[in-house]
Amino acid sequence: MSDQEGKSPFDFGQLREIASSKRVTRRRVLQGAAAAGALAALGPVASACGGTSDSGTSASPSAASGPKKGGIIRAGMGGGSAKDTLDAHTATNETQITLQFQLYDSLMGFDEQSKLVMLLADTYEASDDATEHTVKLKSGLTFHDGSPVNADSVVFSFQRILDPKTASEGAAGLANLKPGNIKKVDDLTVTFVLDAPSAIFDEQLAYYNNAIVPVGYDPKGMDGAIGTGPWKVTSYAAGQQAEFAANPDYWGTGPFADQLTLIEFPDPTAKLNALLGGTIDYANILDSAQVSTVENTPGFKLVESKTGGWDPFTMRIDKKPFDDVRVRQAMRLIVDRQQMIDQAYGGNGWVGNDVYAPFDPGYPQDLAPRVQDLEQAKSLLKAAGYDNNLTVELNCSAATGAADVQAAQVFSQQAKGAGVTIKVNKVDPSAFWNSGNYLSYPFAMTFWGTRNYLAQAQRGSLPAVGTSPSAPYWGETAWKDAEWQKIFDEAIVTTDAAKRNELVSQLGRIDYDRGGYIIYQFNVMLDGYSDKLAGVVADAWGAESASKARYNLMYFA
Amino acid sequence: MPPLAKIILRRLALGLLTLLLVSVLVFAATQALPGDTASAILGRSATPERVKAVRERLGLDRPATSQYFTWLGGIVRGDVGDSLVAEQPISQLLGGRVVNSAALVLVAALISIPLSILIGSLSGLLRDRWFDSATSLGSLALAALPEFVIGILLIMLLATQVVHVFPAVSRVNPNEPIWSQMNMLVLPALTLVLAVAPYIVRILRASMIEVLESEYVQMARLKGMPERIVLQRHALPNAVIPAIQVIALNLAWLAGGVVVVEYLFNYPGIGSGLIDAVANRDVPVIQAIVLLIASLYVGFNLIADILTILVSPRLRTGLQ
Repeated sequence: MSDQEGKSPFDFGQLREIASSKRVTRRRVLQGAAAAGALAALGPVASACGGTSDSGTSASPSAASGPKKGGIIRAGMGGGSAKDTLDAHTATNETQITLQFQLYDSLMGFDEQSKLVMLLADTYEASDDATEHTVKLKSGLTFHDGSPVNADSVVFSFQRILDPKTASEGAAGLANLKPGNIKKVDDLTVTFVLDAPSAIFDEQLAYYNNAIVPVGYDPKGMDGAIGTGPWKVTSYAAGQQAEFAANPDYWGTGPFADQLTLIEFPDPTAKLNALLGGTIDYANILDSAQVSTVENTPGFKLVESKTGGWDPFTMRIDKKPFDDVRVRQAMRLIVDRQQMIDQAYGGNGWVGNDVYAPFDPGYPQDLAPRVQDLEQAKSLLKAAGYDNNLTVELNCSAATGAADVQAAQVFSQQAKGAGVTIKVNKVDPSAFWNSGNYLSYPFAMTFWGTRNYLAQAQRGSLPAVGTSPSAPYWGETAWKDAEWQKIFDEAIVTTDAAKRNELVSQLGRIDYDRGGYIIYQFNVMLDGYSDKLAGVVADAWGAESASKARYNLMYFA
Repeated sequence: MPPLAKIILRRLALGLLTLLLVSVLVFAATQALPGDTASAILGRSATPERVKAVRERLGLDRPATSQYFTWLGGIVRGDVGDSLVAEQPISQLLGGRVVNSAALVLVAALISIPLSILIGSLSGLLRDRWFDSATSLGSLALAALPEFVIGILLIMLLATQVVHVFPAVSRVNPNEPIWSQMNMLVLPALTLVLAVAPYIVRILRASMIEVLESEYVQMARLKGMPERIVLQRHALPNAVIPAIQVIALNLAWLAGGVVVVEYLFNYPGIGSGLIDAVANRDVPVIQAIVLLIASLYVGFNLIADILTILVSPRLRTGLQ
């Protein structure tokens, strides 16, 4: 990837970060050595630390030699299903989110470092009381069919998201917004008037399910799947593959290739074989055993994305025994976090500290890393009335993550050291989310993507409020805490970023002390690709479980 | 009515009864699975209200027996129904997959059956010579390996590690007929051939040896018939009879056994369709695929029995 030098100088600060990182994996050592020795190996190292190439509108990769145009990028991703659609507003699984990224854009978005950036929006402004939010579109934007992107399309898009019939998950974050309160100001300007103030409404505008579509949008199969994204769909077989042609009028960078084919692989081994056999050029989210194969095969490279996605254990704080804060604290002290990452996730993860949203500017960085302390855990349990006799059932499933059942088993082993018996109950992936299961389990697992703190709390910790009956509620821990709620209510209306960050930090501290999640790790995602491909960037964002590969920036060297 | 037609009719009626039983069993099994289509569609956002709405829309709120008879009524009229999750006719949804799987099974059968008959009879003829020993060793080894191991070995040998001659996965373009993408068929078909052929080879070798030692072959030789005629007229037709049953069983196995091979090669056939349908609890699609496989089982066995009757003089004349 030396061809990237021209546009993005290598950041030596990032190399130092690798060297000083507390846990140096074998791969990082290898990459570090390669970086010191050969410039050609800089790409994977640099991108492993969160992206080196700029994307979006800010940088043009055409500096220096410039990316070559043409070719067909063939990429493999996890398997979807016949039930998938190309609907812009309903993607929930890895496959659908990946397809959606190619076709649609939201008003705002998150860049490779999980920073909030403008996409279709040119400017965004919130009133001082955080109830009126005004967005001005970039001028001259068009949809795939050539029709203009204007205020009408924004109003239509959000009304469609809020319509219970659409069943969009985007509605969950828009509970304060009534369909009638999305107001067209002029041809390019829209004002959202909220029932209750929200200082983080911009993050909702950046949510991937809140994409902008043309008026009258109602896709059937691939017909009508029209957006503003870098690729236009040319064929789609749900659960099999999708073919795209480059959108010549794309407002952002690229695409450089002529075509993109996304192929779905229900079996991860088939995906790896396809990569090694040359059937595909890019394979997303390899599992830990596959990483070393790709690493040891000449002609292939890895890109490592350190994301803020997390697969935690969930303890309902309203159910026995977790209604006792000492039990929750003990459970958190039982986990040997690094061992969990090594044994269940093959080393692909970074240690979590029981507080979510690690990329939030307000994340409490100064909290002491929580380490395993079985004696302390035992004495906490004893104080709570359990003397080597606590037995709990942990409900887990591959539905939350491929390695999560293993994580539950490792945890069960670790708990023996504190005299806690954890019965691992493996639930069928199709049944895990059923009512009566997921949100009723006292002790279970879940998964979340990268979000900032307040937006995550709205989705996972607060009951559904406001006007949208279709908003699903994912209160896995039944979180309820008067002090926390008071600070949250203040933070959500604080438009001053510094002040809000301080409040977020206080909220994180409360989670650290008495929350219902055991957040032992954040996900590291590894994608493999042929070295014929260049322009591959790591992405800290990673939607739910999908890696957000930016195919519009890739090109054939 | 000629006796053969009577047999065929009776067997067909029994076959229909078998299929009916299969459909009842499969339907009962899908009802016993945890979760239903509505929650499979909604996944994580399966709030009770949403599940209820989807169940009503799909008609899943009706009693199970009424759902079953609605489905059965459609089948009787020749309508296999609509997929619950994709909400389009199953014939349209599975059409391409059925063609793909049929192509795979057909290619595998067309190669494995003549090839294994040839190898089996040759090793019977050349008993205990080097060719026979090599064939025995090879077929035993292959028979001992599960088909996915054979597939993985082929992928390593021919697609990823040693040489790159064939695609490691079958990226079949759904927009073009499978016949124009024959290279996608090579490795899956080869896997199936290697999985099926050893059984046919071994049964044919055994029966060939038995036939060659029989009195009527000795008689023919004593009469002074040329060896070629002895083999063509007396030995081979009799040696093939036990093989017909084995071939039929193997063809029936191919129809169901493609599931694993299709998964391994990411081949878009009925096997991967079945896996997807089970994960989605898409009962009409599960029923359609299972019934298709079951009717192939019934059909192949029926054909094998009829062929056995036709090629065995004793059975053939016994009918009259």
